[in-house]
Amino acid sequence: MGAEWREGGTRRTPGRTVAYATCGVVLLAGCASMPDSGDLRGVESTPRQDTQVRVFAMPPRDDAQPLEIVQGFLEALTSDDPGYATARQYLTEKAAQKWEPERSTTVLADGPATDAGPTGSRDDGDDYSYTLTGTRVATVDAQQSYAPASGQYGQAVHLSRDKKNGQWRIDALPQGVVMGKSDFQRNYVSVNKYYFASNTTADGARQPMAVADPVYVRERVDPMTQMVRSVLTGPTNWLRPVVRSSFPTGTALPKGVTALTPDDQNKLTVPLNDKAAHIGQGKCEEMAAQLLFSLRSLAPAVDEIALRSGGTQLCSLTEERAATVAARGSETNPGYLYFIDGQHRLERMTSGSGNTKAEPVPGALGDGAKALRSVAVARDEHSAAGVALDGKTLYVTSTVSGSSIGDPVLQSKGKTETDRLTTPSWDTQGDLWVADRDPAAPRLLLLEKGGGQPLEVLTPGLDGRINAVRVAADGVRIALVVDKGGKQSLLIGRIERGPGSGEQQSVSLQELRSATPELEQVTAMSWAGDSRLVVVGRESGGVQQVQYVQCDGSIPEAGTLPGLTEVTSIAASEDTEIPLFATSKDGLLWLPGGSGWRTLKETASVTFYPG
Amino acid sequence: MSGDSAASAPGRSGARPERPVGRRTPGSRFARLLAGGLLHGGVQGSPVLRLLLRWVRRPLLPVMRLWRRNIQLKVVATTLLMSLGVVLLLGFVVIGQVRNGLLDAKVKASQSQATGGFAVAKQKADEAAGASADDGTPADGGASQNVIEWMSELVLSLSSGGQGAFDVVTLPPGDVSGVARGPRASGFVDPDKSVPEKLREQVNSSTGAAQSYSRIIYLSDKESQPALVIGKQVNDPNGDPYELYYLFPLTQEEKSLSLVKGTLATAGLFVVVLLGAIAWLVVRQVVTPVRMAAGIAERLSAGRLQERMKVTGEDDIARLGEAFNKMAQNLQLKIQQLEDLSRMQRRFVSDVSHELRTPLTTVRMAADVIHDARVDFDPVTARSAELLADQLDRFETLLADLLEISRFDAGAAALEAEPIDLREVVRRVVSGAAPLAERKGTTVRVIGDQQPVVAEADARRVERVLRNLVVNAVEHGEGKDVIVKLAAAGGAVAIAVRDYGVGLKPGEATRVFSRFWRADPARARTTGGTGLGLSIALEDARLHGGWLQAWGEPGGGSQFRLTLPRTADEPLRGSPIPLEPKDSRRNRGDLDDAGLPRGGGQKSATVPVQPVGEQQSAARSTLTPRTAGAATADPTALPGNGARVVPRPSPSPGTGPRTGAGTSTGVGAGTGGTVRGDSPNRTDTAGAGDPDGPDDGGTGDARETALRGTSDRHRAGAEGANEQGEAFRGR
Repeated sequence: MGAEWREGGTRRTPGRTVAYATCGVVLLAGCASMPDSGDLRGVESTPRQDTQVRVFAMPPRDDAQPLEIVQGFLEALTSDDPGYATARQYLTEKAAQKWEPERSTTVLADGPATDAGPTGSRDDGDDYSYTLTGTRVATVDAQQSYAPASGQYGQAVHLSRDKKNGQWRIDALPQGVVMGKSDFQRNYVSVNKYYFASNTTADGARQPMAVADPVYVRERVDPMTQMVRSVLTGPTNWLRPVVRSSFPTGTALPKGVTALTPDDQNKLTVPLNDKAAHIGQGKCEEMAAQLLFSLRSLAPAVDEIALRSGGTQLCSLTEERAATVAARGSETNPGYLYFIDGQHRLERMTSGSGNTKAEPVPGALGDGAKALRSVAVARDEHSAAGVALDGKTLYVTSTVSGSSIGDPVLQSKGKTETDRLTTPSWDTQGDLWVADRDPAAPRLLLLEKGGGQPLEVLTPGLDGRINAVRVAADGVRIALVVDKGGKQSLLIGRIERGPGSGEQQSVSLQELRSATPELEQVTAMSWAGDSRLVVVGRESGGVQQVQYVQCDGSIPEAGTLPGLTEVTSIAASEDTEIPLFATSKDGLLWLPGGSGWRTLKETASVTFYPG
Repeated sequence: MSGDSAASAPGRSGARPERPVGRRTPGSRFARLLAGGLLHGGVQGSPVLRLLLRWVRRPLLPVMRLWRRNIQLKVVATTLLMSLGVVLLLGFVVIGQVRNGLLDAKVKASQSQATGGFAVAKQKADEAAGASADDGTPADGGASQNVIEWMSELVLSLSSGGQGAFDVVTLPPGDVSGVARGPRASGFVDPDKSVPEKLREQVNSSTGAAQSYSRIIYLSDKESQPALVIGKQVNDPNGDPYELYYLFPLTQEEKSLSLVKGTLATAGLFVVVLLGAIAWLVVRQVVTPVRMAAGIAERLSAGRLQERMKVTGEDDIARLGEAFNKMAQNLQLKIQQLEDLSRMQRRFVSDVSHELRTPLTTVRMAADVIHDARVDFDPVTARSAELLADQLDRFETLLADLLEISRFDAGAAALEAEPIDLREVVRRVVSGAAPLAERKGTTVRVIGDQQPVVAEADARRVERVLRNLVVNAVEHGEGKDVIVKLAAAGGAVAIAVRDYGVGLKPGEATRVFSRFWRADPARARTTGGTGLGLSIALEDARLHGGWLQAWGEPGGGSQFRLTLPRTADEPLRGSPIPLEPKDSRRNRGDLDDAGLPRGGGQKSATVPVQPVGEQQSAARSTLTPRTAGAATADPTALPGNGARVVPRPSPSPGTGPRTGAGTSTGVGAGTGGTVRGDSPNRTDTAGAGDPDGPDDGGTGDARETALRGTSDRHRAGAEGANEQGEAFRGR
């Protein structure tokens, strides 16, 4: 019966039945194999696996020997103990009270070695001393500012036996913390705190210019609160003369605030003490912008900062609005990448788009009328300064088509090409910086608005000849490659403008400091972030490499870039999203996504972003 | 009193009462087992517990009933349980194997990884030691300079080899003697809680590597995970030992395992559901026809012989149906044949009776003439004439009785019921029997006639029955008193006729109602009667929907009881008068201790094979439920007339042996009739006393028509007490 019925059904609608069966089989087959199409969705970025090693400090063992005490103490310094409570257990009570670990951090190349001190009656005595020795690499001062250091380290540690319980304890020790380089890199992280340039503003806007002030904070000891405290404390000494903080003097976190953490909406509420209670809205937003910029360099997830004081909310600032409150170098995107092609003409490419089609720059520099050695395009990309192929003359012209090259605004008297003008550099105010390498009269010149009488910039403490000039986007710091005795090193200076004689203001570079003490041959460099530069250089006895350096002289974690030889120039933008370009004997190369250098043009001599 | 119940329905086929018993007994035993074993088990405890158990049991009872009755439920539930068990077992086995396999692979990979790591650690320590030695620094103070940093770097380099695949922990050795380094851990692992204590002891005590399973506790928000921990004691560049542990999280393995678990659970669920569905379908295929067959069989047994099963297809079920139908057809055929035969016989008897009447009338007239003229004859001839007239009287009575019986058999008897006072009937009968009683020297006493005993009955028939009983009692009373007792209770009225004559032998009480049965052929000579009187009386009682039952004991007399419903069409539930009189010898307790006479004296004891003791005990313990249940057969039921039976739920078992009683009496009737010719006087009086002649002739016959009345015997013994109780209560 069933068979008959089925036959009847099949006879009635054979096509439909077959279609249903086919559909079912297809559906089942689809489930049974891996999908090869469909289901489009975004991929959430998984947090990077943290392989960092933690050291767990151990309290001193009973009846530990003096050496053990010293070793345990040094080990406890490398732990994540927030207040060094475990380390203090190795000290006598008096020493623990006097000891200030926050005073400084000394970084030694291989960690401190313990040499038995000259004094001390060996076994039966009640005192003992060791000398901590090592090769200094850097120091971090009380303001958490990093500074490269060198030389030998030698500090004495004195132990005595406790009268009551007979335990060995350290009773005299140097202030601060000492640790090895790897421990330092493991425990500390470099972050930027932001202040506002006191005498410069972003071009064309009344916004204050944010200046990055890199400091080191302990990475796993509530860095966010450390960061906020550090911002409130004010800028580091080096930057203090040229920047201002929006926070009123004396502003601090109220007592009792231990840990600040953002809420679910990535909003961080920062309570402030009474000093900030009666503050204007604009000032408050500047304060919030300072904090927001600073914290985003530590935790990019923070989206909003709210300031509270005395129980009321002063203001809150989101990441989007922060750009209207203050300008930041890394937020200004260059429109084009510029390079000088094989015919010594200035060409440009749309930056950041991956479009590699080059076009000549409109105006006099792009038409090939004048062979160019190097060019700088102003940050607004309306004007450009070009140095002729022989390096003798500097022209400033507009990038509007049809403009003429005009007369040179500066001429060098140098004998050879390498003794004449360097690549010029524009700052945010539209002033042009250029150095004359004439060995007879090496000087750094400033042309206000790209013209007028060149102003010689005072460079106290500069020893050597400036080989390259790069002004940071904030207009406060300047990077120089200084040639001295055949060695080129990178120096970072602070631009101070003051009232000069007559109409002209005086401009000086103050407190030049080395950013790459270990590099001998710096051939090219460019700002690549608020406080970061990309440098092409060679260590003594090494090969040329391309690497990032912090402007305070430390090497960031992701420091080294893929190797490239005979780099003549490198182009990087403060906006870290935009790819690096470089020129070498292979022509124009770029680094898309860090996978390796790729050739873009066969012939090109110099490449740069505006600035 | 199973003995009585065995005799209760002698006329029946025997299969009928037996089947329900057979069906019932295992069922009830099963129920008892279930109730006793499963539910009553351990109920002997405290009353609270018992109450609780009862409370728990109550909602379960319908379920258990369903369980007992529904084979489909049983099969499906059993299938589900078994498949569930198999699936669970399979799941455990498979999961166990997968787990072992995953772990084996993981452990091997981890061991090789960890071994490599230990080698690297050792190598690095050697290198560092060598380097510091090259530097020329003293081994004691100088070499220890870099261990703090060296170890951190070691952990970092070891752990960076497998991002997320494992974490590395170093711990100071358990027995710190020299300079001990603090614990170090990568990946936010809490080193102290994650490394088990036993593993540390093992690692400390031996130089080889050791492994253990543990759970990684993280210092960050990460959830803890199971892990394999492999550890070894290694020396640092200073030669100081430290413990190096590799922690391999088993996250992936756990994910795989949970995938397998999920898959198995899903598959198992589907399999169980599938098996259950299959069982349900299959059982349905089988059970549906079986249920149909059961329904058809029930209807067949209820007399609807034309019912048949529907047969489709050719499978086993179809064959069953065919065979069933064939059986039903054959049964129907045979029953029809038997009915036809029976009807033919009855018509034959009826026809013969009618046909004999006409010549008999002629013969009678001639005989009367001869009889009237006998004084003119010589003595011998005169005697012959008298004899002729006597026997003609007898012949007529017999014919009338036969006609009456055939009327009953043909179903032509009609009840003309009207409310009558039975006292009137009794008085008429007693006064009618007075001459006979006087002749016998017997006093007939009537008890219980103070109040009217009214019932809807046919006065003529009731009178015929009573006359029969009273005349019988007087005739067999041996001159002792005859007591007629009236009673009404509940929905019934009863008239009992008690005599103290020879009584009935065991087994006779069931046979007295048989046609042409005589209690004692020798005694029968002195009495007249056709041998049909009690049969007709029984038919009359049954026509009323009442009972006619006999009780007797040898030498103790007998009692016949007629129970009628107070209103017609009302089924009888009991009788106001106990069948066994209170003054029976057994009730009086004047039996000897041997018990045998007692059992023998009890007419109800109709089954000789029954052990006496049991008989006694059963008779005594009248309240035992078993006998009470068995004694509820309807006494009015006649063989072959099952339709008239008032349905009582529990038929009596063991009636088979008695079946032949009804038919076997034919010969006896003949002999009885001829023998009885010797006592003409008796016949005369009987004939004179009873206008309805045919009935009277039979009164003298102590015949046992094997009737339903047998169950009264029963009642006399076992249920009698119950009924007594009822009757008393009714009053």
